[in-house]
Amino acid sequence: MARRRAHTHVHLPAAAMALALVGTACGMGTGGSVSDDLVVWIMEGTNPDETAYFDAANAAFTEQTGVGVDVEFVPWSDAQNKISTAIAGGTVPDVVELGTTFVPEFADSGALHDLSGYVDDPYVYTQSLLRMGRIDDRIYGVPWYAAIRSIVYRTDIFEEHDQEVPENWAELRETAIALSEAEEDMIAFPIPGDAQYSVMPWIWGGGAELAVQTSDGTWVSEIDSDGGRAGMSFFTGLALEDGVSTTGAVNWNEIDVMESLAEERAIMAISGSANPKAILESNPDLEGRLGVFVIPGREDGYTDSFAGGSLLSVFEGTGQEEVAWEYVDHLTSYQFSSRWAEETGFFPGREEAVTAFAESEDPLVRPFAVQLITASRGTPVAPAWGRVEAEKVIVAMQQSILNGDATVDEATATAAAEIERILNGG
Amino acid sequence: MGTPVGLGNTREAKETVRDAEGAPPPRGRGRRRAPFLSAGARRTLMPWALLAPALAVVGALLLFPLARVVWLSFRDFHLRNLVSGESDPVGFDNYAALLGDPYLWRVALPNTVVFAAVAVVSTVVLGTLVALLLSTLRPLTRVVVVSCVMVAWAMPAVSGTYVWIWIFDVDDGVVAQALTSLGVLGPEGYNWFADRLSFYAIVTLNVVHSGFPFVAVTVLAGLMTVPRDLHEAALIDGAGAWKRFWHVTFPVLRPVFAVVTVLSTIWDFKVFAQIYLMPGGDVGGSRMLNLGVWAYVRSFGHNDYGAGSAVAVLLTLLLLGITVLYLRALFREDELR
Repeated sequence: MARRRAHTHVHLPAAAMALALVGTACGMGTGGSVSDDLVVWIMEGTNPDETAYFDAANAAFTEQTGVGVDVEFVPWSDAQNKISTAIAGGTVPDVVELGTTFVPEFADSGALHDLSGYVDDPYVYTQSLLRMGRIDDRIYGVPWYAAIRSIVYRTDIFEEHDQEVPENWAELRETAIALSEAEEDMIAFPIPGDAQYSVMPWIWGGGAELAVQTSDGTWVSEIDSDGGRAGMSFFTGLALEDGVSTTGAVNWNEIDVMESLAEERAIMAISGSANPKAILESNPDLEGRLGVFVIPGREDGYTDSFAGGSLLSVFEGTGQEEVAWEYVDHLTSYQFSSRWAEETGFFPGREEAVTAFAESEDPLVRPFAVQLITASRGTPVAPAWGRVEAEKVIVAMQQSILNGDATVDEATATAAAEIERILNGG
Repeated sequence: MGTPVGLGNTREAKETVRDAEGAPPPRGRGRRRAPFLSAGARRTLMPWALLAPALAVVGALLLFPLARVVWLSFRDFHLRNLVSGESDPVGFDNYAALLGDPYLWRVALPNTVVFAAVAVVSTVVLGTLVALLLSTLRPLTRVVVVSCVMVAWAMPAVSGTYVWIWIFDVDDGVVAQALTSLGVLGPEGYNWFADRLSFYAIVTLNVVHSGFPFVAVTVLAGLMTVPRDLHEAALIDGAGAWKRFWHVTFPVLRPVFAVVTVLSTIWDFKVFAQIYLMPGGDVGGSRMLNLGVWAYVRSFGHNDYGAGSAVAVLLTLLLLGITVLYLRALFREDELR
């Protein structure tokens, strides 16, 4: 237990993305699964149309095994409740996609089937993702894809106003201010209130951890350290002092941020690697006018960004665990995890497949890959971390600062106390 | 709403049974075969037998979940227990933690009670005014106006809430744009959802908007029954509009007002979607939660179903208290008759 907690890593998927992105079709058969069909719950995200992918993957699976597959799509925002109530009602699916931050909690509860007996070589998977599915020697989920956030920007507007890609925080601020003055009707750099993964990089970049476990097992949050406060002051200061955001962004989540780019209202914004494709799908006019840069470091280098993703897990007690594993193995295979990544803009959950992406020449892919490989981090690996997110502790901190209800010092102190209370079982 | 109707039926049923059983049983048959049960036992059991189907439905749909929530509130019940199905009793620990939580006293309870009070008064007053307006209209116009009013009632809470959120959108909402063009609001805008008062003002608008049609229609139905000659007599005595309402209409409609007030109170105490869906309405520690949302956040956010159930039980007790008031108000009316 203690050993597991000591790991600190990668997590949540394109997560809080309650990405019920408009138009994400769900044309596959839902409900009323026939006889022994495998029931699979897949999260609905920012990624574009998923139907074709599952048609192909499921047909191949049925051909190999003779087992039908019934895929149901669940919006991210409903996922946790839907799974909890399914457990209570005994109506769990055979296979479920879980955001990395969910896995420790569900694994800890005993709801998931141990896959360690089936996995031949755990090292083929992206290790930081796999770590979220591991408890001691058991494996409760294997990596399907990784998600990372960097900054998506409008190359045409940068060029028009002779702006370069910023290389440290001071340059980022100057760029944002210059753009904000040059384009009065646009939002230079939205500072969202309801997007916790857009906040975390600045805490890390300031030199603090969200929470670390001390030698006696208690968790201590560093959000209220000098480094954490410096990061929060910088990020919220962009909105409060420099006015490069907009008042309404306090209520924005990651979807709202993405829409502001798609609607050509924002110039640059922290965005997930799957967002550019979705943005171009909803506004094809932006083709060739979008770029991506790695979040710059405070002085130089890069600032760590939140790396999340999804694992595929098998539920315990369905009586079909073995064939469920075969399906998990099928979707996480090199072929289908790479195809998923290509179609969505996420990164595959296999080491060898990610490496291929890092060499990509696509300007909308490569910076994300660099961010994932060289500057990414996860949330603390504690079963209770899911509660910190469910209670929106970091969102509350960010919003109280942006709304002027609390100073950075006050808000970070409150958040640190809350995180410590939750992680230490209060 | 089910309770009073159910009780009424019980009383009627009892009387029916008494009438049927009260008459002496036909002698001839009784002599030939001894009755399975004595007359007294049958008199006691018959009402229950007749009520059994209804009780079974109510029991399965209402009492079982209720009992389950009460049971849960005395347990240490987390996600792990959901999976294993086993849990430990913790006595009143959940309640002790709940009642000792300053959040209950400073945020959740005041939000719930003050909001419900304001919303109920506004709903009933607005609904009554609309009903009075409707009663003066000609039938055709009345149908048109009632139809319009019904649209507000028919709107699902979720869609309605999103419409209000858009109306008050900080950057592009119609309210923000109107106030900006009037010069009342600066170009930097104002976040209505960040302030407890303006947050609940929007919730109140939303809830009153969707709640007043019920009051209007119910009160209108009541108004139709007020004898015209009472009003004419009052008019001849020189009573103004207010006096006629207060001394003639209101006393006659007292039972109607009791019903709409208590029902509105129950609904407004339980408001959930209209708060949960608002920006900031789902943030664990925010000052915007009411008891219903808090119970949900504690149950599903913390996966602490025991503590969440304790909040739900508290809310149920509050509502039960109000229902008792409602029943007493009704029975007082009965005695007057």
